[in-house]
Amino acid sequence: MLQNELFNNIIRDSNAGYWKLYDNPEREVWSEKFYDNLGYEKEKVTTTIDYFLEHLLHQEDVELFRDNFFNYRCNTVHFRQHIKILTKKGEYKLFRCATNNELPVNIKSEISFIFFIEVKLDPEQNITKDNFYYKETAQMTATGSWYVDFAERKSFWDFETRRILEYPDDYIPSLKDSANYYAEDSRQQAADLFFNCAMVGTPFNTEIKMVTANNRIFWVRAIGKPVYNEDKEIIGIRGVFQDIDEIKRKELRLLKSIDIIASQNSRLFNFAHIVSHNLRSHTSNLSLLVQLIEDIDNPEEKIGLIKEIKQISYSLNTTIEHLNEIVAIHTNKDQQKKAIKFIDAFNLVTNGIGQMIAVSKTKFIIDFSDLEEINYISAYLESILLNLITNAIKYKHPDRDPVIRIRTYVNDDNKYLEISDNGIGIDMQLFKDKIFGMYKTFHYNKDAVGIGLFLTKNQVESLNGKITVDSEVDKGTTFTIEF
Amino acid sequence: MINKIGLACIIDDDNMYVNLIKKIVEAKSLCHNLMVFKNGRDALNYFEAILTSLDKKTIPEIIFLDLNMPIMDGWEFLENFTKIKNKLGKTITLYIVSSSINPVDIERAKGINSVEDYLVKPVTIEDLESIFLKEV
Repeated sequence: MLQNELFNNIIRDSNAGYWKLYDNPEREVWSEKFYDNLGYEKEKVTTTIDYFLEHLLHQEDVELFRDNFFNYRCNTVHFRQHIKILTKKGEYKLFRCATNNELPVNIKSEISFIFFIEVKLDPEQNITKDNFYYKETAQMTATGSWYVDFAERKSFWDFETRRILEYPDDYIPSLKDSANYYAEDSRQQAADLFFNCAMVGTPFNTEIKMVTANNRIFWVRAIGKPVYNEDKEIIGIRGVFQDIDEIKRKELRLLKSIDIIASQNSRLFNFAHIVSHNLRSHTSNLSLLVQLIEDIDNPEEKIGLIKEIKQISYSLNTTIEHLNEIVAIHTNKDQQKKAIKFIDAFNLVTNGIGQMIAVSKTKFIIDFSDLEEINYISAYLESILLNLITNAIKYKHPDRDPVIRIRTYVNDDNKYLEISDNGIGIDMQLFKDKIFGMYKTFHYNKDAVGIGLFLTKNQVESLNGKITVDSEVDKGTTFTIEF
Repeated sequence: MINKIGLACIIDDDNMYVNLIKKIVEAKSLCHNLMVFKNGRDALNYFEAILTSLDKKTIPEIIFLDLNMPIMDGWEFLENFTKIKNKLGKTITLYIVSSSINPVDIERAKGINSVEDYLVKPVTIEDLESIFLKEV
């Protein structure tokens, strides 16, 4: 009798034949399915272990099965093994046989069973069907599989890996040149991932840039994990490449626009702050002055104080003009850009301040040969040059005449303008964060207003460029603008 | 004559503001002497110099410190001043007086021990009077 329903159902639904083992009297009952599977009729076989061992079981399996069977019967030692049994047709079929406790389901039974579950070698048809689904999935998701075999020192690619990497179907991947499958700036990343996976078994799942046979660089998601042998040694890496180029490029574009929006937002916030702060200092003076005028009784003194209003009004106007200049930068940035020759802008600026240059005996060393012109707003380029040149002259070293070197160059497709002087320099440790701030001055110089570099930075940034500074006290200062 | 503060100190680069405070102090006769520094560096130089003499008459009882100044701003002055103020042997009350209403600045100032209070410009004559009288 079967002891519970779960067990019942399993027996009924599964295709497994089984033996029930009885102690009293000692006998085995073979289930219907056991005969059916082998094609025998019940009357034609003797249902004893001896008959089974002698006539039905494959010779190779007799010894082990006999031991297992009697151990189970006498000592309830459960077992599991593969055996081959002769069918009516004279062929051997492969079975996995197992006792109650060795089944993959949790069942309780007071009767001892031995189950015989046929091991079906996947028929050809099924393999083709699976293969079809696998190919569909690979193609639809643009996911290619690959395997790196360490023992044979070979790489294997499936058809989809070849397709997304644009190699012909008969292409044999090279393990030796595998770095070439990755974009130049991703090779280190790839090397690290494969090394860690091969040496320590760290799996990876990452986004990386690869290169196709046609030298097209594109984004893939690369997933890989180590393959172990029975001795727990890593013998290869198995994984997939998925073409995610379109998604990744969208993501990068999105990130870029987030950056632009964030920087615009922070500039606006900064500007609001500047407006508030700069106007406050005047309004608070005004308010203090009014209090004082009201508080003082002496008419002459009152008139004296009223004159101070003029001064405050003047300062307020100057501040508003400065703020206007900043606002202008942000509204002008959509102005038409045009190709400007650096030498033209330079000549225009130096002609305008000829007097200042002559008096200070400033020498220029210019070299625009690497990059002669740039697409820019001409007023900005002139203003940038003017600010940086006049700064260099204003803050010249007392012991020497100013020498200003101006050059343009191209590096990694980026365009640069560099202006360096031999002036008094700025203490970078103290002022690094403040150089481009509004109304920040670093020297006891009467002309210092603290607006020039702030405007320059705003102009450069409004056209998506960058300005950086490097300086050493007593040596000089170098400003670099990346357009 | 009523008791009043001997020496007060303003560290601020805004000429107009300094002039007005001077006038108020004079008109209201709030202290005997008023010293003015244009930036943190000048002020710090002074305090470092008097460390050697320690003449109590040259040490102010009260300091009004601006934050936004060239050369050395108020924060940097505070950092250095905190290191030497105990060696001056006199209690100095320090007020930050700034036009910055940035809460970050205000919080930061309140976190500094040597800062008595944070005044936002414009200050009123009444504010000044009560501060000076409190210190007497």
